[in-house]
Amino acid sequence: MASISIEGVKKEFSGNKVLEDLSLHIPDGAFYTLLGPSGCGKTTLLRCIAGFHETDAGRLLFDQDDMTRVPTHRRDIGMVFQDYALFPDKTVFDNVAYGLRARAVAKAEIGQRVGQALASVGLTTLAERYPAQMSGGQRQRVALARALVIRPRVLLMDEPLSNLDAKMRTQMRDVILDLVQEAHITTVFVTHDQEEALAMSDKIAIMDRGRIAQIGTPEELYGAPVNAYVADFIGSANIIPVTIESADPALSGDVRYRLGGRLLKGVRGQARFDENNAILVARPEELALTVADSAAANAVSGSVVRRQYLGFKTTYRVRLQDGPEIRVDLSAGGRSIDFHPGDSVRVLLPEQSRIIGA
Amino acid sequence: MNFFKPKWWPWGVLTVISLIVLAFFVLYPLGVLFGNSVRDESGALSLAGFAQLVDNSMFLEAFRNTLVLGVSVTTLAVLIGAPLAYMVARYEFPMKNLVAILPVVTIVIPEVIVGQSWLLILGNNGLLTNFMERIGIELPSFYGWTGLIFSMTLVYYTYIYLGVLAALRGFDGQLEEAGLSLGTSPLTTKLRVLAPLMLPAVAVNALVVFSLVVGNFVLATLLGSRVPLLSVMTYNEFVNEMGGSPLLQSAMSVVSISIVGIVLFLQKRVVERKLYTMTPGRAPQAARVRSGAAALFTGCVGFIIFLSMLPLIIVFVAAFTETSGPVMRWGVWSVTNLVRIFRSAPEPVFNSLIFASIATLIGVVFAVLTSYLIIKKRNRLTHLLDYIVIMPLTISGTVMGIALVQTFNTGWLVLAGTGSIMVLCYAVRRLPFAVRNASSTLFNIPDSIEEASISLGVSPLMSFFKVVLPVMKASIVSAAILMWVTTIAELAATIVVYTGGLETMPIAIFRQIDGGRLGLASAYGAAMITVILAPIIAAVKLFRVNLFSNQ
Repeated sequence: MASISIEGVKKEFSGNKVLEDLSLHIPDGAFYTLLGPSGCGKTTLLRCIAGFHETDAGRLLFDQDDMTRVPTHRRDIGMVFQDYALFPDKTVFDNVAYGLRARAVAKAEIGQRVGQALASVGLTTLAERYPAQMSGGQRQRVALARALVIRPRVLLMDEPLSNLDAKMRTQMRDVILDLVQEAHITTVFVTHDQEEALAMSDKIAIMDRGRIAQIGTPEELYGAPVNAYVADFIGSANIIPVTIESADPALSGDVRYRLGGRLLKGVRGQARFDENNAILVARPEELALTVADSAAANAVSGSVVRRQYLGFKTTYRVRLQDGPEIRVDLSAGGRSIDFHPGDSVRVLLPEQSRIIGA
Repeated sequence: MNFFKPKWWPWGVLTVISLIVLAFFVLYPLGVLFGNSVRDESGALSLAGFAQLVDNSMFLEAFRNTLVLGVSVTTLAVLIGAPLAYMVARYEFPMKNLVAILPVVTIVIPEVIVGQSWLLILGNNGLLTNFMERIGIELPSFYGWTGLIFSMTLVYYTYIYLGVLAALRGFDGQLEEAGLSLGTSPLTTKLRVLAPLMLPAVAVNALVVFSLVVGNFVLATLLGSRVPLLSVMTYNEFVNEMGGSPLLQSAMSVVSISIVGIVLFLQKRVVERKLYTMTPGRAPQAARVRSGAAALFTGCVGFIIFLSMLPLIIVFVAAFTETSGPVMRWGVWSVTNLVRIFRSAPEPVFNSLIFASIATLIGVVFAVLTSYLIIKKRNRLTHLLDYIVIMPLTISGTVMGIALVQTFNTGWLVLAGTGSIMVLCYAVRRLPFAVRNASSTLFNIPDSIEEASISLGVSPLMSFFKVVLPVMKASIVSAAILMWVTTIAELAATIVVYTGGLETMPIAIFRQIDGGRLGLASAYGAAMITVILAPIIAAVKLFRVNLFSNQ
């Protein structure tokens, strides 16, 4: 168990800057997620922590120990791979025992610790199976047991759930969280799935082209994205350019902006930004629709372009009066009126909607 | 540079060592050969050798004959191999499963046995020749174009067959359905959709066959006494110039390397660019054919398989047949010939076993190492390694033998005249095949299992032994077997590098055929086939290796 400090790490692949002067502190025992689309550098960062990539510059510390030049096999890490990376010629037992044997643990203790590890992932009865004879979820459990049985200082997971079907994925989230919390181990979890990240993490670092876009708890990232990239990536918010009329310079201060020919109210979501280039961040589920002649405040007129019925909610695409389109989700429980393409409507925007720089 | 820094140790160091070994045993001999081809008796630079060749009408005829033979055999091999592949891939007919043995047959039956068996059947004193003579039909002499084209086509059509079959199996049947849905008739669809996509596969394998025919020495020398051919002429020149200046043999070797070089260049430049990547789809279901057509299909396929298998049967029958001098007394069984070879001249059997074992061991270890470096540790140096490793492909056995003898008969490392030059020759010649074999497996092993091992605390070098090697076990066994089998049967290079006392089985067979003692030749042949088959059967039974699955 250890904290991880990354200080000014750089990494280039044949002139292509993948990590640019990146710093990050991961506290001891945290479940820390690196989130971002493919190519943002999250896996590269994880592999730098693991030691599979040598960094071009910067330092990496586990607690106070400088790991920057320590080869992977001496870093004392546990790693779970996207494709599980089970040794196909070894049984489940031998897979899990592999790291213990490398550490020259006594035979009796190996038997006991492997037994415990397999019990903790519910695979006691499958110890003599080979990887090819197991389902994806079972293989994933073996990979977890194999990484945890050596009691590593940190656990690194590279998109471990992406090869599972949707149902198994949600199930494995719980398995992973239970095991990690029980072992109280610092975990770095790489994913491109924002839902997964929100559901599992203590803290999330959203990455964008080799840099950190924002670090925060799931609530902070969802509720207060600092830029359009984060807002779009987490919860895919509506991001609409607006014209600012007046703005209180304090954070969360009132902002008056113009959209669809209306003067509307919002709040400042960023301490400083270019006011000539401002955007409104509005989550589809925070918006509401009413009929065109309602007298609702803080609303814009538009017409329904498309309606998609999704069971638990209905998604509308509405074209606002002077051009931009906005997505509105109405939940099924709301007993709201049904709208149809072509209907004139008014879109209600909450007064807490955040205005930030583009 | 500190070679024990993590960056260089262990793979960087091993890459450099492999490069040095290959440069010394592949590049250097080739350099010596090329150098000798442009140097006259006094050692001065001159093109006299090539000038002599151009003026030599015998050489020009041999050159022309070689190309004509190459084109004819390649054409026939395509005409047999491609339709056979199509029948097997697309139709269901009785006894179709027999074709599964074809690839094995090609590998197991050495060319020297093929040549010898067909001489027993169609030679001057052959079974069928004599039979036809009795009923008044005179067959054309088998020594010459007839025998060359017939036997080489039978040896090489499987290359086309296997290549096209693989391409047909990888063909996405939906493409044809798309063609049909767009309104072309089934035949037009095949011509416009299927044929263009199969053409590159046919061309690639046709070029391989062409280069093999050009380099072929064994059948050329056994059956081509009346047709001058480049490979045989090169060998004769090597024997003539023994002890003198190796000018003409070098010049001729360079000519044949150039022919194959040009062919491989064509393959890389023209054909491989046209190889389309297809999303692997479902290959269309094989259609069941009805009675008449079924009989025809089974007949065709059965006949081809029969012709391919015949040498195997003939050589065993002949080994147990009574002979008096050159005359085979068919129907009279005896073990005299077998007893004789084991009583009076068993050395070739032992020599073959010893050389093949050592060459296989060295070759496989080196092949596994280099292919690991090439596939898993890509960088500029391993890229170079990749190029050098496949170079022996451009060099026929005879030429390889000549290059090695020229290089290692003087200087500080004299190998000529010892068993080690034979081992070296076998290992180098078979290296490209073994590397290919190991590479395809390595390609399918994800990097992550090695990384998993390292992350669990095992050093990179130990991870290779504990994780990668066990997964490669099957492919190592099959690479070893292929190497062993082809090495045991090697004749073209052996005949150049061997010296008295180091005869191998193929040499013994060759000599007995040359002396007209086909019975003794068959006895050696039977012994050789047994030695070849034993490990294959063992591997299939013990390791459950699927040796010849056409990936």
